[in-house]
Amino acid sequence: MPISALECVHANAPSVEGRDHPRRSSALSWWIIAAATLLFLIIPLLLHDPYYLHIFILVFLFAYLGTAWSLVGMAGQLSLGHAAFLGIGGYTSTLLFMEWGVTPWLGMWMGAILSAVVGILIGYPTFRLRGPYFALTTIAFAEILRIYVENTEVGPFGIPLRAGMGLLVPLKGSAPALFQFDSKEPYYYLSFLMMCMAVGLSFLINRTRFGFYLAAIRADQDAAESLGINSTRFKLLAMTVSCLLAALGGTFYAQYFRYINPERAMGLGISIEIALVGIVGGWQTVLGPTIGSVLLSPLSELVRAYLGGTYAGLHLIFYGLVLMVVVLFLPNGIFGPLQMAIRRLEAKIRKSDEKG
Amino acid sequence: MSILKLENLHKRFGGLVAVEDFEMAVEEGEIVGLIGPNGAGKTTVFNMVAGFYRPDSGRVFFQGKDLVGMKPHQICALGLGRTYQVTKPFGDLSVLENVMVGAFARLPRAREARHRALEVLQCVDFSDRKDVLGHELTTVDHKRLELARALATRPSLLLLDEPMAGLNPTEKLHLLGLFRDIRKGGVTLFVVEHDMKAVMNLCQRIVVMDRGRKLLEGTPEQVARDPQAISAYLGEEYGTA
Repeated sequence: MPISALECVHANAPSVEGRDHPRRSSALSWWIIAAATLLFLIIPLLLHDPYYLHIFILVFLFAYLGTAWSLVGMAGQLSLGHAAFLGIGGYTSTLLFMEWGVTPWLGMWMGAILSAVVGILIGYPTFRLRGPYFALTTIAFAEILRIYVENTEVGPFGIPLRAGMGLLVPLKGSAPALFQFDSKEPYYYLSFLMMCMAVGLSFLINRTRFGFYLAAIRADQDAAESLGINSTRFKLLAMTVSCLLAALGGTFYAQYFRYINPERAMGLGISIEIALVGIVGGWQTVLGPTIGSVLLSPLSELVRAYLGGTYAGLHLIFYGLVLMVVVLFLPNGIFGPLQMAIRRLEAKIRKSDEKG
Repeated sequence: MSILKLENLHKRFGGLVAVEDFEMAVEEGEIVGLIGPNGAGKTTVFNMVAGFYRPDSGRVFFQGKDLVGMKPHQICALGLGRTYQVTKPFGDLSVLENVMVGAFARLPRAREARHRALEVLQCVDFSDRKDVLGHELTTVDHKRLELARALATRPSLLLLDEPMAGLNPTEKLHLLGLFRDIRKGGVTLFVVEHDMKAVMNLCQRIVVMDRGRKLLEGTPEQVARDPQAISAYLGEEYGTA
């Protein structure tokens, strides 16, 4: 241990916390979060239409996936192929279930481990490079994986990948032990729980050394390294957690839709949808992806439901437009401006309180 | 034993020889200056010491350990800190959080790192701005931030790359006092600087570099009188001083 540096004359007790931290969530935003949580918890009691519940499930699922995705984003890395990890999770748990009857509750963890290993294999060589190599590699990998599965009836070790046909999850009716439910409500609460856990994890990460290190790496890698940060190691750690979570989401995806195929589980469309939720919301913030999903998922579902039949592919044009608008006007996502607005509102309330 | 010892350092970039057969040493507790005209290779020397460039040949000993081949983060962990000529604040972190990043190098828990960071900020007289975001700071505050961040890693040797650049005389005076305080706290300082007044004032020993080589070294008085140093870098003004 080097000598304790710097014992300057006036280093008494450190000063107490001063004014508000610039990014600390205000009291009002905590109330908003609490109210939203409560609302989400009671919605299924008020709303029984399965289609509306379905939209909420999509909101939660993509908020979850976007949050998982943003963990790599916090290290300043843009993954544009995260569907690959979703697909690995979904395919692993579903194949284990179909072939050996392994319950997806267990299979999802095997998928998560496999996905994390693949994530490390992609990250290890590319995180050493600077520039767009990581982003390009993730796209390439996801597309290679999709094309491979789409054209492979029987994979290595006799794994029946069933090519473009996809995998149909064998129906067992109401079988909670097998991750199958006969109504929307359990999926609703499960996806809500998953979202809360991902956001909670992201929140915790941001308060620890790991989160500070990710922020430092994304701001300036050289400066981070000269402050003792092994940037490759922490980027890999972020990638591992992110891929693990994405794969767990993949199992949910497969069990909820009861069917996955390469296009739907690994396609570029899903990758972009995941990334877009994060980018629109604010990909380097804890709650950004959730807000992004609240805004985007219902919209994209509606566009697909009402216009997808007549104009196939219209939802992709819609994504493109949204992305252009956000990049032009809110390059850091919607979360920052939203937080500012809340803070201003709070200041106004406080002022009128003092007057009244 | 010298805290830092450089032996036969060579570094070329393509056809350009940046540093050639450079050697010098820094003793514990000293403030040593490295001066020379632009392009003399000063920053390249710093980058080799801090692990950003690998020397083509030669060795860098820090507390007796050869640093060549080590990564910057490993070198930081050994107790060698640095600041940058072009400051590199973490823009979307507050000043306090910036310094916490440095403190985490020794204190993995956020509470302890925060405590340490507050201490360091107090020392560099920066506590009043601790909640300002990195990208909102002025030049002088960037410098202070760099310094605080590097100090928070508890270095025993600190490399300062042009800490005075862009500051006004009052700010320079303030920073000089700070450097002396830091040295009193047990940190050895190795400074690249163009401000001759500051260098002469601060350093006990000065190494003059020109075209990648060491021209001479000595006390500020010796360097100021040396005809070679005057013609290579200092100019007449210092020759008569």
